[in-house]
Amino acid sequence: MIRALLSVYLFLQMQVAGPRVTPEVSRLLQSGSDAESRNEFDRAIADFRKAADLDPSSTVVLLSLGDAYVKKQDYAAAISPLKRAAELSPDSLPIHQLLGYALLSEGYAAEAIPHLQIAHDSGALGIAQLQADQPAEAIVNLRAALSKNPADPDLLYYLSRAGSALSSQSEDKLLLSFPQNTRAHEVLGQHYYAMKMLPEAVKEYEQALAQRPDLPGLRMELGEIYAARSEWVQAEEQFREETKLQSGNAEAAYRLGDTLLQEGKMTEAAEKLHRSDLLRPDMPETLYSLARATIVSNPASAELALNRVIEIEKQTPLAGQAYLLVAGIHRKQGKTEQAMREMAEYHRIQTLTSRGRE
Amino acid sequence: MTRRDLLSLFVSLGAVAQITKLKGGSLFKVDPPKGVDFVLRNSPTPRKYLIETMPGGIALLDYNNDGFLDVFLVNAGRVPARMRSPVDFDRRNPSYWNRLYRQNKDKTFTDVTAQAGLQNAGDANYGMGVAVGDYDNDGFPDIYVTNFGKNVLYHNNGDGTFTDVTAKAGVAAGGWSASAGFFDYDNDGNLDLFVTRYLDWTPETSKTCGRVGDPMYCPPGEFPPTTNILYRNRGNGTFEDVSADSGIAAKKGHGLGVAFADYDSDGFTDIFVANDATEQFLFHNNGNGTFTEVALDSGAALSSSGKMPSGMGVVFQDYDNDGLPDLLVTQLPHEPYVVFHNDGKGSFSAQELETGFGAISGKSSGWGVGLEDFDNDGWKDAFIVQGHVFDNVEMYDSSLRYRDAPLLALNYRGHFEKGDLGSNLPTAGRGAAFGDLNNDGWIDVVTTSLGERPQFYLNRGGKLHWLTITLRGKRSNRDGFGARVQVNGQTRFATAAGSYLSSNDKRLHFGIGKAESADVEIRWPSGVHQVLHGVKANQFITIEESERS
Repeated sequence: MIRALLSVYLFLQMQVAGPRVTPEVSRLLQSGSDAESRNEFDRAIADFRKAADLDPSSTVVLLSLGDAYVKKQDYAAAISPLKRAAELSPDSLPIHQLLGYALLSEGYAAEAIPHLQIAHDSGALGIAQLQADQPAEAIVNLRAALSKNPADPDLLYYLSRAGSALSSQSEDKLLLSFPQNTRAHEVLGQHYYAMKMLPEAVKEYEQALAQRPDLPGLRMELGEIYAARSEWVQAEEQFREETKLQSGNAEAAYRLGDTLLQEGKMTEAAEKLHRSDLLRPDMPETLYSLARATIVSNPASAELALNRVIEIEKQTPLAGQAYLLVAGIHRKQGKTEQAMREMAEYHRIQTLTSRGRE
Repeated sequence: MTRRDLLSLFVSLGAVAQITKLKGGSLFKVDPPKGVDFVLRNSPTPRKYLIETMPGGIALLDYNNDGFLDVFLVNAGRVPARMRSPVDFDRRNPSYWNRLYRQNKDKTFTDVTAQAGLQNAGDANYGMGVAVGDYDNDGFPDIYVTNFGKNVLYHNNGDGTFTDVTAKAGVAAGGWSASAGFFDYDNDGNLDLFVTRYLDWTPETSKTCGRVGDPMYCPPGEFPPTTNILYRNRGNGTFEDVSADSGIAAKKGHGLGVAFADYDSDGFTDIFVANDATEQFLFHNNGNGTFTEVALDSGAALSSSGKMPSGMGVVFQDYDNDGLPDLLVTQLPHEPYVVFHNDGKGSFSAQELETGFGAISGKSSGWGVGLEDFDNDGWKDAFIVQGHVFDNVEMYDSSLRYRDAPLLALNYRGHFEKGDLGSNLPTAGRGAAFGDLNNDGWIDVVTTSLGERPQFYLNRGGKLHWLTITLRGKRSNRDGFGARVQVNGQTRFATAAGSYLSSNDKRLHFGIGKAESADVEIRWPSGVHQVLHGVKANQFITIEESERS
């Protein structure tokens, strides 16, 4: 992004170039600009340096030299002439912007920030703030930049990084300032879970629950850990409590239903999954689990749910799995041709998925 | 009323305390018998050669026809720190011998390996599994040992000794063989031989996975798949490799377990191969010497979540007493062991959740597996040997364990619940063979584990009744493999194959609850249909194939 934006400033130097330069300096500036336009940066730099020797107080000469270095991607060398130019023309936005880029490119993020603030470049400023460990400020500026360029992948990337960094920073503060707080145990539990240290994660959640047994969400997270360990009885207990705390939470109902499904308690699983579907309709995973819970007892209902999954998911692996189950229902019903068609769809999606992986 | 009927009644009455009390009794006592000093020496190295973690098999057979089951154990070998082909696994060293233990009348065992002529396993062979069958119909069970290297067929001479007849028989295979089994695919009365092969792997193509400094065994997907082998028995002591002509070699996979049954009741025995991390194979026997792989289209390739199971061991028997053989496939953790229920008309549906395996499995890796009626209530229970593939799995996932206790799953009218095994001794379990070791009418289990002695799970028995049948084929193969035997509404498919790398007691055991007698119906591979009424319970009987139905 930086490199692309820098090209915009090619013409800006002309705007800030003062009129009073000697003919020799003017000739060198012209010669350097010509070389630069031919991408002969070393030659351009040589001309601009000679001009700077002749007129070390010329903003336009210093800016031209700095710009040539930037174009050559020698950001370290660009910093000195651009700093001098900024001293000479403290109100020049292009100089501050270019200097900000050069500093940022060299890793001097904190030093780049004031220059990018003067230049009102919210995108680069956001990046600098992220790198200077100011994620909250970075998020504000990156969002502002994104409002102007909503499809910029670099900005989206940095915004995502800033979000994570802010989250980490907040968590660090929470853990340092309130190490025995419920939320601190919860955060630690999440970290242990992410690191696959499941017993440690369970311990943290148990401590959190001992403090605030009615805190919504805690039991759902603990239940997920048990589910990851295939400890279904414990998972069921937690999800069941969560559905009591949050009776309108579709996710909690889904988790409980899916756990009951794993335990082979098909009737109750179907009931909970159906409730989840009512609370938040058309969630493909819910419909798929509902189909699995009813596939033996009520194949017609399972087929309906699976067809809806296929309608929503179209060509995803989940749609492929739904085709597989529908084919099984039809095979069992003796509808061989239908089953074969569904198997063909399953194979087609498998092929698409594996091509996608490649 | 059986014990489980009583349990159901208590459930309906809410008598939870009573249930706990009744379930508290363990089915087995773990009792190492005198005389068995075998240790499965897999010789793990820091280089994590994949072969190290896969052995080894066990067979329960009555090699001398004295009426007592003997035990054959496959050993692995010494793995050099740096393997280069051809590898010397030091199999002449007695520490690495396969072992045959003869059971004495006092239930002790005597090592008869050298006496039987079984001490030579082949220096370049790293041992894997074993299959048992009377391939020449002489009345004495023969032994086929699979290896990484060349496989070996030992002909039972009938005088307590064996002769290596591999070269003459033409069944050496090669590469990395895993499970094998004898069955009669063309119903000609001679047992044919099926051999699964795991990977296209050599010491030179070996690699390790995992983190730097903490290497682990690589998953099978890191190595090319390979073909299985079908040998047709010519009936003259030699076999013909018909893998290509039969269509078996048309499919490449990561074959580990194998089991046989006639799943579509067309009179021809079909083959199921448990593949590791690829689709499972169901080879439908077309009845004309060829097979068609139909697992995916018949619903027996993927788990109910649509995933490819990491198939290890497999058993092909009827768990829900509907007369059709079902499949139970063991696999890696985080997914339950897979149950393919036979829905009839040649189709299966994955029902691991409906059968309760979702609740009781998923935390361990399963290997050897059997569906046997351990409590004689008329419903086949499951026994699964467990232990992870990776000997350092705890470093990668603290919720998993390398050593684990086996799983006993009791069958409550088609729904399985964890039972009390009688031991929680964790081992790196691999092979398992099932049979009535002490001829008391109650099925026992012998398991193998890496680096350790075998475990003997001796059934404590009870008051319910049983019937154990030995088949003697005349037109059919002498072992009667492939026969469908029904006793009081239960069905068994005669085979010694199944489990993982192992071979079971060929006798057919039926628990018959409180029944004093049984009706027995046999459909022999020859097509002969034989019915016996009012057979008295609690006895071992031999049924000879009649000349006609």
